[in-house]
Amino acid sequence: MSAPRKTTSVKLVLLGEAAVGKSSLVLRFVSNEFQENKEPTIGAAFLTQKCNFPDRTIKFEIWDTAGQERFASLAPMYYRNAQTALVVYDITKPQSFIKARHWVSELKSQASPGIIIALVGNKRDLVDDDESARKVAEDEGKQLAEEEGLLFFETSAKTGLNVKDVFMAIAQKIPEEQKAPSGGLRGAEEDSRVDLNSAVAGPESSCAC
Amino acid sequence: MSSFSASSVSKRGSIVPPLAEDPAFVDSCDVLICGTGIVESILAAALAWQGSNVAHLDRNSIYGDSSAVLNLDELPRWVDEVNYESAVFSNAKLYQPRPLDSKKYFVDLTPRVLFAKSDMLQLLLKSRVYKYLEFRSLTNFHTYENDSFEKVPASKQDIFTSQQMSPVVKRQLMKFIKFTVEWERLYNVWGPYRDKPVVEFMTKEFQLEQTQIDELVQSIGLCSSNDVATPVALHRIKRYLVSLETYGAFPVVYSMYGSASELSQGFCRSAAVGGAVYKLNATLTGLDVDSKTAIFNDGSKVRWSEKLVVSEAQITEQVRSKIPSSNPEYQINHLTVIVNMDCKEWFAEGEDAAIIVFPVGSLSSGNTKTVQAICYGAESGQVPPGQCIWYLSTVQGGATGQRDLEEALSKMEASILRESTEDFEFQVDQSDVIFTPSGDPVLSSVKLGKSMKDFVPEKKLTYLIKLSYNQKTSIPPLEESIKDVAKNDGDESPVIVTSGAPTEITYDGIVEQVKKIYAQIVGSDDDFFDVDFEDDEEDELTGMAKQNKKQEDDDHVPDFGDDMEL
Ligand SMILES: Nc1nc2c(ncn2[C@@H]2O[C@H](COP(=O)(O)OP(=O)(O)OP(=O)(O)O)[C@@H](O)[C@H]2O)c(=O)[nH]1
Ligand SMILES: [Mg+2]
Repeated sequence: MSAPRKTTSVKLVLLGEAAVGKSSLVLRFVSNEFQENKEPTIGAAFLTQKCNFPDRTIKFEIWDTAGQERFASLAPMYYRNAQTALVVYDITKPQSFIKARHWVSELKSQASPGIIIALVGNKRDLVDDDESARKVAEDEGKQLAEEEGLLFFETSAKTGLNVKDVFMAIAQKIPEEQKAPSGGLRGAEEDSRVDLNSAVAGPESSCAC
Repeated sequence: MSSFSASSVSKRGSIVPPLAEDPAFVDSCDVLICGTGIVESILAAALAWQGSNVAHLDRNSIYGDSSAVLNLDELPRWVDEVNYESAVFSNAKLYQPRPLDSKKYFVDLTPRVLFAKSDMLQLLLKSRVYKYLEFRSLTNFHTYENDSFEKVPASKQDIFTSQQMSPVVKRQLMKFIKFTVEWERLYNVWGPYRDKPVVEFMTKEFQLEQTQIDELVQSIGLCSSNDVATPVALHRIKRYLVSLETYGAFPVVYSMYGSASELSQGFCRSAAVGGAVYKLNATLTGLDVDSKTAIFNDGSKVRWSEKLVVSEAQITEQVRSKIPSSNPEYQINHLTVIVNMDCKEWFAEGEDAAIIVFPVGSLSSGNTKTVQAICYGAESGQVPPGQCIWYLSTVQGGATGQRDLEEALSKMEASILRESTEDFEFQVDQSDVIFTPSGDPVLSSVKLGKSMKDFVPEKKLTYLIKLSYNQKTSIPPLEESIKDVAKNDGDESPVIVTSGAPTEITYDGIVEQVKKIYAQIVGSDDDFFDVDFEDDEEDELTGMAKQNKKQEDDDHVPDFGDDMEL
């Protein structure tokens, strides 16, 4: 590689009803794999993925949340400091689109004001041969996205259709100054935030794990 | 075409249709925890990582329990609620003269700061929970003296440049500080004062004067008076001294957006990753201790096999008789205001926070306990720019404590009005300017304090919010023996009630409390957070990471730059 590029971190959270394919989208994005019978996520999962762009490297810090209702109370903790959110639904499941609307309105009222939201209708492969399987029209997704100012894609985690594009579109939308240097805790150069993992003295104070 | 049409509900502002409830919440677990306060949340995470099945619930719609952080919509509701029924809070009064953008404010019910060298900070690192939070530094500890706020001289340089102290006092002070850093090993020096007030020890053994003792014990040590037992005070003064220079020239950090409840949320998040399940808005309405079953307001029943851990605030009238009473008897009075000034004058360069201590006897109310105030500007994330939130508290209960707080507030108001007036003039002559060892000129603050004494401000401070309330806890203040915290020891009851908040504006004592409960449940605290988190930052520790073994490595980087134009 040539000159060292600036690496900027972007916190991203995935929200959506159970089994719509959130974890599958992440798996496709980070490992280019797909699992036919993926287990439901418990609690939440954290992954990172770096993407090289001509001018910079973007490191996605991805929180994949559990869609099952018993974990729903946790969601605010994940989107609190997220700069971007993927709200995912399954285009063959109308209920999942209603849930997506809920997530969008909750993010609009509760998350940080500048949050970039992408609306994602997943499992596009299921309707490619059999259009009758589709239960949420592409236009409905588009319309919601237009009204709320969201990015919109129909994807398939199974075939990989549009998956990279979602993350790419998000990366593009992030204004320069919003890109936090690294996670929530950062060095003191930029502002007065303190990285607890960077004690200047004392053996006890270094990470004990 | 689609059989489902969302177009009828897709208009902006239209009502979003209700969701079908998914009733799939657990019906059994090893440990059932009610309340998402800091103690319960750390416990939940510790147990989840240890391998226990944890179900964690809270009657409120937000995390934090009695140390919640509220926005201005939630605040009036909270006031009504606690005045109606609360085992922890009482006598809540809220004054808000005009409407404010409620989501831009976060009011912390029990604000705390985190010492740079402390067990809580170690735990945040070890558990990796620090990654979920954002911290900022706080350098300035001020002591209110003779009608002005003095910055506490605690570093060598501060002491050296201080003009208030004679060389003799400076020498004694340095001697004391050197002693305190290693006091535990010097039992021969403090042993005779083991059970005596620290003021006696410092006067007799180090010939320190009242002013220095107040500053060391009450400001730096954050003790509620000079009557605290010698070892207790020494421990606390040392806590400050060793924390300095850990991350920089500041002793404490604070988490943005709120204190204990932010940490609680971080630990809950960790617990969830470790497999704990969560439910909010779940009020304990029934309890059968024999069959170890708890019933909640939505009708759900949860059986536990090991313990039910419940915080005082989660105990409803319906279940109170079935739970061992903890009887919180100690009080903390709180007074919180939001003002329309940024109060930069109090903050160190580049910071937006300070602590102000009113020592015993410094107020005209004749206060017998200190009043402590934490002040945060907009960088704390708790108020919008140009405003400041002041959290005043005292362990003096009742009307006396309230009077002390009001008195301290009026002093703060007077001080900030004086200090923030730009056109205020005073003469500086050569003797007012002193030089630090590195040669930088410093203006003596004595002069500032004195000349501003007769100043009459033309501005008036506006209170955007004024909130007062009384808090109860079963943890005694420092003057009393600190030994009886271990209330639940050896208790075979299947129900454990957690103690309330320590009477502290720090996190001291909390980790200890959690470890005790943890040991009660799993037998010992040897494996408390003994988790082998991967050290590689890139390779995180989570459900998904475990399932997919290796989900990321740096060789596999989709390179968008080459094949796509951006
Ligand atoms: N045909 C098809 N199946 C998919 C697609 N994406 C996911 N699936 C399948 O849908 C099921 C659920 O996928 P997950 O990725 O686990 O869904 P999730 O949203 O993470 O679910 P929770 O973790 O429970 O919230 C799995 O069996 C996947 O194989 C897709 O694009 N097409
Ligand atoms: Mg999943």
